[in-house]
Amino acid sequence: MTRWLKENLWRHVIGIGMCVFAVFPLYLVVLSSFNESGSLQVTSFIPKDISFANYKTLFNDERIPYLTWMKNSLMIAGFVAIASVVIGAASAFAFSRLKFKGKKFGIQLLLLIQMFPAILALAAVYVIMERVFKFAPGLGIGTQAGLILVYLGGAMGVNIWLLKGFVDSIPAELDEAAKIDGASAMQTYWQIFIPLAAPVLAVVSLLSFIGTFNEFILARLFLIEVESRTVAVGLQQFIGGQFSENWGPFAAGSIVASIPIVVIFLSLQKYIVSGLTAGSVKG
Amino acid sequence: MITAIIRGKVALAIKLVLVAIVTAVLLTLSQSAFAKGEYAIAGFLFIAILLINFTYFSKRTVPLKFFLPGILLLTAFVLTPILYTLVMSTFNYKTGNYISKEEAIGRIQALALEPDENASVFDIVVGEYQGSPAILVSDINNNAYFISTPDQRFPVSNAAITADEYGVARSAPEFTPLESGDISSSKAAKERYYFDGTYFIAVENLNAGAVFRQSLEYLPQQDVFRSLITGDIYRDNNNGNYANENDKAEILEPGWRDPTWFSNYIRLFNDERVRNPLISVFIWTMVFATLTVLTQFSFGLLLALALNKPIRGRRIYRSILVLPYAMPSVMSILIWGGMFNTEFGAINEILGRDIAWFQDPTFARAAVILVNLWLGFPYFYLVSSGALQAIPSELLEAAAIDGANARQIFRKVTLPLLLQILSPLLIASFAFNFNNFNLIYLLTGGGPRNQLDGEIAGATDILISYTYQIAFGNNLQDLGLASAISVLIFFLVASISLYGVRKSKVLESFS
Repeated sequence: MTRWLKENLWRHVIGIGMCVFAVFPLYLVVLSSFNESGSLQVTSFIPKDISFANYKTLFNDERIPYLTWMKNSLMIAGFVAIASVVIGAASAFAFSRLKFKGKKFGIQLLLLIQMFPAILALAAVYVIMERVFKFAPGLGIGTQAGLILVYLGGAMGVNIWLLKGFVDSIPAELDEAAKIDGASAMQTYWQIFIPLAAPVLAVVSLLSFIGTFNEFILARLFLIEVESRTVAVGLQQFIGGQFSENWGPFAAGSIVASIPIVVIFLSLQKYIVSGLTAGSVKG
Repeated sequence: MITAIIRGKVALAIKLVLVAIVTAVLLTLSQSAFAKGEYAIAGFLFIAILLINFTYFSKRTVPLKFFLPGILLLTAFVLTPILYTLVMSTFNYKTGNYISKEEAIGRIQALALEPDENASVFDIVVGEYQGSPAILVSDINNNAYFISTPDQRFPVSNAAITADEYGVARSAPEFTPLESGDISSSKAAKERYYFDGTYFIAVENLNAGAVFRQSLEYLPQQDVFRSLITGDIYRDNNNGNYANENDKAEILEPGWRDPTWFSNYIRLFNDERVRNPLISVFIWTMVFATLTVLTQFSFGLLLALALNKPIRGRRIYRSILVLPYAMPSVMSILIWGGMFNTEFGAINEILGRDIAWFQDPTFARAAVILVNLWLGFPYFYLVSSGALQAIPSELLEAAAIDGANARQIFRKVTLPLLLQILSPLLIASFAFNFNNFNLIYLLTGGGPRNQLDGEIAGATDILISYTYQIAFGNNLQDLGLASAISVLIFFLVASISLYGVRKSKVLESFS
């Protein structure tokens, strides 16, 4: 018994201590989301009675078009997740398997570009999209379509790079055999590469989804109208320093918005953790 | 065989339709860009159209077929902004010098108005007269009425007009008033209507026109403005403004974005008001990124060591511990922002204090580090656990046989190996936190900052959030300077990242 204590007690102390630290803010938010007064103030760490008032406000109050924000976020992130992987996979295939002039230079450029934090070019993106707005008001600054285009461009570098790494790991014998059998590059791509890569494509696209859902600053810069905002921008503007007044509905809103992401993350944990050691950092 | 042919036909049809749609859309965009004078964008779109059609209808461009869409997106929204950042950093591109020179000349002319000595304002009706835009003016003080077109003025007799109870003319023969909804958008509102040759009437609002004269004239041959009142000459000062020849400090607003080459970069080093905040922000950025990586890594490692043995409840610990990492970080940061609230926040409540966390530089910095620890320790817990498993157990056993105790084994064997395995990740995390804009912007907004002194750099501002303040803040927005700092950051981060890549290459050659 004493030996057990000596060997394992410190492990549990650290484990429990860090779990408390990890859960503490999340528990408080859940608590205040079910608190009728919606106050930021913690009156008791054990809930006395559970009220859904904040959730009702969240879904019914005209000041917070929460469902529209959620819809915007899911649509934008969903579109970017699918389109960026469809486009990125084709590029990755070409960079990994096909021979062409300037390939080495292309790969080096890609390595450099995917290192460049997109936020550094923020001012330039803003100015360019402001100009686009002048001749195409549906695509420029202030529009979701423009935001999606910028996201797609930004996702390209990282996605092509990630997917190229994966394609490199598929044995070349498979598509060489297909080539000998007379398959064109297109046929190899559709009939051999895509079925093999399908699970990885799904994972990369879900990671893209999480990343886009979590993106804040471009969305903040682009989406000016309340109705067009994503849930991240919408909630940030809604809480906007008025912690005492809006905290309850905000707490409810942040929980509802987090659920899909936490679920995706936990179900992908295995892949993400192995990807972590490959050197990618979640944004 | 037949299905293959049909499939081929369908694929061809889909390809044709897709290329046709894309071409049509891009062509329309290219045309409207050209029409609005955005030649660079129009050109880019046009080249894209040519490339797309060539690529997908030629048999010799197989690799291009695969990566053209990706490359076009990358070029348009990543490569071009990067290059544009470089270009902007050599321009005097800021509030007051935001537009092109042609636009600035037009704007200066339009703004160079001087009212007559009485600052006369007339009641007017905007409309049309003899097929040209016109206003019906009621000069009530003199009990006179007239119609002005841009070139001429026609007196109207008092008998001919219909006036309301204040004596303001509402209509006159041959004069057709515009619907009020159309006026603000119509050209008629922007015209200058004839008054007496020197002076003219400009439409102020729906029912008022004011008497002005032009105070500056532009002389295109010499590229100067001449004051029509004093005769002073305003010349291009090569810094994006027209300045008075006799008094260089007197410049005409607005200016335009003008190439000033390296002046933004020189300001970074020579201008005290730029250099001093930049240095302190840079130091804090380094401290912040270093402390973040150190705290996240040591807490993560400690956890990994503690849970590196199949103790009871390990899986429960693990699933709770990843929660901070699984949460969308934007939400977590906003939640923490509420917890640090001075009056109502949970933290002050637990401490039983009234600390104004985000008003005091030291407390604000501590809060930033603490929140970032929460956000990032699970990551290092996960990767350290993985790395611990990767250390061959023979090594540890050998050390134990040689008589090393647990502490010695950890310090001399485990830790060096771990650091070697994880160093690329530590460097990547440093590079990521170096630019961790969301955390700073959403938690403290970079503050506290002394706004009364017009200070842009706050106590928790890191380089990237400081740059954002310069480019998009509430004060003077200086895109040129912000771009120059961006370029600087890029070189810093790229060298850190390249160092990391080299490290991981070295690592690969080991394994």
